[in-house]
Amino acid sequence: MELFFHYRDKDITYEELIEDINKTKEIEKYIYEQDPYEILKKLIISIINGNQITLLDSDFSVEEIKKLGVSEVELEKSYENKEKVENMDDLFGKIEKNKDIWELTLYTSGTTGRPKKVIHKLDTVARSVKKSEEFKDNVWGFAYNPTHFAGLQVFFQAFLNRNPMIYIFDENRKEIEGKLKKYNVTHISATPTFYRTIIPYIKSPIESIQRITTGGEKYDEALENTLKKSFPNAKIRNVYASTEAGSLFSAKGEIFKISDRIKDKIRIDENNELLIHKSLLGQSETFKLENDWYKTGDIVQKIDEDHFKFVSRKSEMINIGGYKVNPHEVETEIKKIENVLDALVFGRKNKITGNILAAQISLKENVNTKEMEQKIVNQLRNKLQEWKIPRIISFVDQIKLTRTGKKVRK
Amino acid sequence: MENKIKEIINIVLEKNNKETVKELNKELSLRDDLGMDSLDLAELTVRIEDEFGVDIFEDGIVDKVGEIIEKISKR
Repeated sequence: MELFFHYRDKDITYEELIEDINKTKEIEKYIYEQDPYEILKKLIISIINGNQITLLDSDFSVEEIKKLGVSEVELEKSYENKEKVENMDDLFGKIEKNKDIWELTLYTSGTTGRPKKVIHKLDTVARSVKKSEEFKDNVWGFAYNPTHFAGLQVFFQAFLNRNPMIYIFDENRKEIEGKLKKYNVTHISATPTFYRTIIPYIKSPIESIQRITTGGEKYDEALENTLKKSFPNAKIRNVYASTEAGSLFSAKGEIFKISDRIKDKIRIDENNELLIHKSLLGQSETFKLENDWYKTGDIVQKIDEDHFKFVSRKSEMINIGGYKVNPHEVETEIKKIENVLDALVFGRKNKITGNILAAQISLKENVNTKEMEQKIVNQLRNKLQEWKIPRIISFVDQIKLTRTGKKVRK
Repeated sequence: MENKIKEIINIVLEKNNKETVKELNKELSLRDDLGMDSLDLAELTVRIEDEFGVDIFEDGIVDKVGEIIEKISKR
């Protein structure tokens, strides 16, 4: 029987997946779980039962979950697994039957401090999935967090084509080359940061890879050239996707094409901001629409009617290796720490993760700055995900403000 | 210069609860031997750039301590 999922040193076949599904009596309404296989199994169970579930990052702190507005009582709720699955055809039949009732809630970093809640149906979360006979022999390297939108895209693409997934996201980097070769992985989708992290461990070219997909960060030509050496047979593609709308465009190099399929649902306004029609979005109460159009905050340059490239982000969100951080959220947490007067959080550019977080902090008088730095980092570790913690902290007498009283974010 | 590099490497390691180094061996791998992850490497490169004005990752992937020293000496 074909392989479904490989992680750590376990191989789970599609047959074993079905057995595990049938053995599961209930699943939580809020999936807050570390084991990637368990996350995917529960996700599948929720679809065949037509449940409404929420995926939470396993590294969310208790504080962060509280901020989402999810109570402890809610976290404890579960659904009964009422379905028994006979085989893969039966499984896909049940998915087809329930796909319009099923709802998946994800949280994405919001621009106002509180993460945005976005509700997806299978249609939006798997819109970019291509299902066809020609994909039946694909083998996927799974290189995203499975609770994140990009991870779900990889999952549905692989799963709906009954492909094996080889989990390499937070596995030992020294073992990744061996795993890709052993399982003859053909497709990988990952952030530029992930590729930069694994490339030093790839000692000889991996011939089996046919396609490398990347996205979520600015296009990097040097990286593309490095990738070609490690994966000599791969076509390299860049995609634009967002938690709000899923995967929308793809590019060879840095120029994105707007496909005919979505042409009338994409606009570039007079300020060169990319707009997406609401029919392409998941549901959320927090989306700000203007006459049915969603403003992405991405400033683009139009090449011709069907092509554009990215110029910059309008919003203040800082991209750390593909994760978007809202500086206001981090500033709020820093300012709660004793003896801190004010804080300014901004990105520092680098070639590894695009940006890392830096902070300028002003303290009450007579506080030892060396001790404070460690204290701030330690306190933030209990409250925020790793990439939201400033790496470079400097102490200043006063945070600079603009003439209108806003902080000068560099 | 090498002492300063060692100091910067140790700041990054210590702050992130990793074992610091006593001697700066050129053969040490930042990832394998010092256990740096991508955020640690990003912090390291920004701190080195602030000190020496050199972006050590500018033209590709750096992994050995010796490669950092070489990049900074060439500036």
